[in-house]
Amino acid sequence: MEKSILCRLDSSAQRYPEKVMFKDESQSITFGGFNSLTKAVGTFLAGKIAPGEPVAVMSGRHALTPSCFLGVVRAGGFYAPMDGDMPKTRLNQILGVIEAKTMLVDKAHLETAQQLDFSGEIIVFEDICDTPADESLLAERADSITVTSPLYVIFTSGSTGVPKGVITSHQSLMCYIDAVGKVLSIDDTDIFGNQSPLDYIAAIRDIYLPITFGASTFIIPKNEFAVPTALFNTLNREKITALCWSVAGVELPAKLGAFDEGKPEYLKKLCFSGSVMPCRYLKIWQENLPDVLYVNQYGPTEATASCTYYVVKEKVDDDTVLPIGKPYDNYRIALLNEDNSPTPMGETGEICVSGPILALGYYGNSEQTEKSFMQNPLNDKYRELIYKTGDLGSYDLDGNLLFHGRKDRQIKHLGHRIELGEIEETAKKIEGVTDCCALYNKPKATLTLFYTGQATSKEIVLYFRQNMPAFMVPRKLISLEKLPTLPNGKTDMQTLKSYF
Amino acid sequence: MEELMQILEELRPDVDFENETALITDGVLDSFDIVALVGELNDAFDIEIKPNNLVPDNFNSAKAMMALIEELQDE
Repeated sequence: MEKSILCRLDSSAQRYPEKVMFKDESQSITFGGFNSLTKAVGTFLAGKIAPGEPVAVMSGRHALTPSCFLGVVRAGGFYAPMDGDMPKTRLNQILGVIEAKTMLVDKAHLETAQQLDFSGEIIVFEDICDTPADESLLAERADSITVTSPLYVIFTSGSTGVPKGVITSHQSLMCYIDAVGKVLSIDDTDIFGNQSPLDYIAAIRDIYLPITFGASTFIIPKNEFAVPTALFNTLNREKITALCWSVAGVELPAKLGAFDEGKPEYLKKLCFSGSVMPCRYLKIWQENLPDVLYVNQYGPTEATASCTYYVVKEKVDDDTVLPIGKPYDNYRIALLNEDNSPTPMGETGEICVSGPILALGYYGNSEQTEKSFMQNPLNDKYRELIYKTGDLGSYDLDGNLLFHGRKDRQIKHLGHRIELGEIEETAKKIEGVTDCCALYNKPKATLTLFYTGQATSKEIVLYFRQNMPAFMVPRKLISLEKLPTLPNGKTDMQTLKSYF
Repeated sequence: MEELMQILEELRPDVDFENETALITDGVLDSFDIVALVGELNDAFDIEIKPNNLVPDNFNSAKAMMALIEELQDE
């Protein structure tokens, strides 16, 4: 068994020294070049951090960012990626949780980094990439890592108003990457087209499938997603064979009619996740690209990106609902009732996951960790943790899992996971907002905030823009005299939904 | 034009729509904004914005958007 992802990096660098590994619109890097860069960064950082220490990384959407991440790992640490385009308040919240003493940034983000509440040392990537590799120091640091050491901490929305840092180990990541690579039959001829922001969980496929299988990844410029014809031109120019995109990303070109102008000629594999696929859009893909392998994935960040998959063999119709399928290798699924008893076949229960793919918990938050990761109530013989996803599911007659939505107020909006409670906690901090309720208008994919108080909708949106990621800004604001209530005094959300 | 400005203002109050002329090219509006905006414009002006309309030239400024709306209304 490999001890860490570094073993895979060494091996792919040896096998494909001259092959392009990561590429963006202006530069590219080979496996050999990437490996050397991680060693340079790793050697420098090893002089700054102790083994097992976190490093916050803020680097742009370009081909060299993954080498910052793996450079941290070479130094024996783990990384917490941050998107420099996020508002400072959000970045400060992340820094507050991760408590890193060191931050690695690219030159373009130095100024942003200097404006944050960060008292540690800021290191500029461009300044250290020529550090001569100290092989014995790097070997020592590689030896300090075990399969269960943290690899990265990725942040996700938390209902209390503070983002939660999900900690993933080397082992969990490698289990997932092997499983998804097998289902998609990934090999060294594949070229991925990256859509996800590099700090986001969905990007782990675009980063680690190349490291493991010798494939390459092209990082698609962000604004091309607003111009569908340019997007397809890029996929063809770069001869992209595989896409692991959010459902929202897959919908975009179909919705905006990109297939009227052309199609991705080289595409062989398309896997999607993040929310429920509206099949009227998948149908358009299938009609234009009938030979592509389509895979529907389901799973939370806490179980390393995805836990189940469904290979779409049938021709879908507008109203087809895709199953979320069967567990990946090394994932186990159980359905539990409210009282922790097993859900009978055919009935709906909470989807619970177990296996070596479970996250190590939420960083610096044992309370939340213990609530979400608990002893499997069906096992009183030995220690076996499960993660309760909060998602509801049932099995169909073929043994495929079906998804039935959330049991709480978490939503999926344009591929991002959002706690409506966090939107409300944020709105309540605004002067002039007395009370509020955030709801999701699903048919229109619009985040809606109902509120009382004197604040104007402009003031509210401006506050969100300055403090929250773009996908968490309410699109529709409705000012009310009073929020409708139920007899028990709680906000009447059903009545509010009728105001959409 | 007034109605358009109101929609834009509500969508992104942090953007100066009077003067911006590279909303798409410079990435001021992202794909989330465009999806939301297309829906709003279709409803408000009773038009149907088609895929081939979705090029930077038609959305880079409020003026360009207005021109597109008028063109589609004439059809």
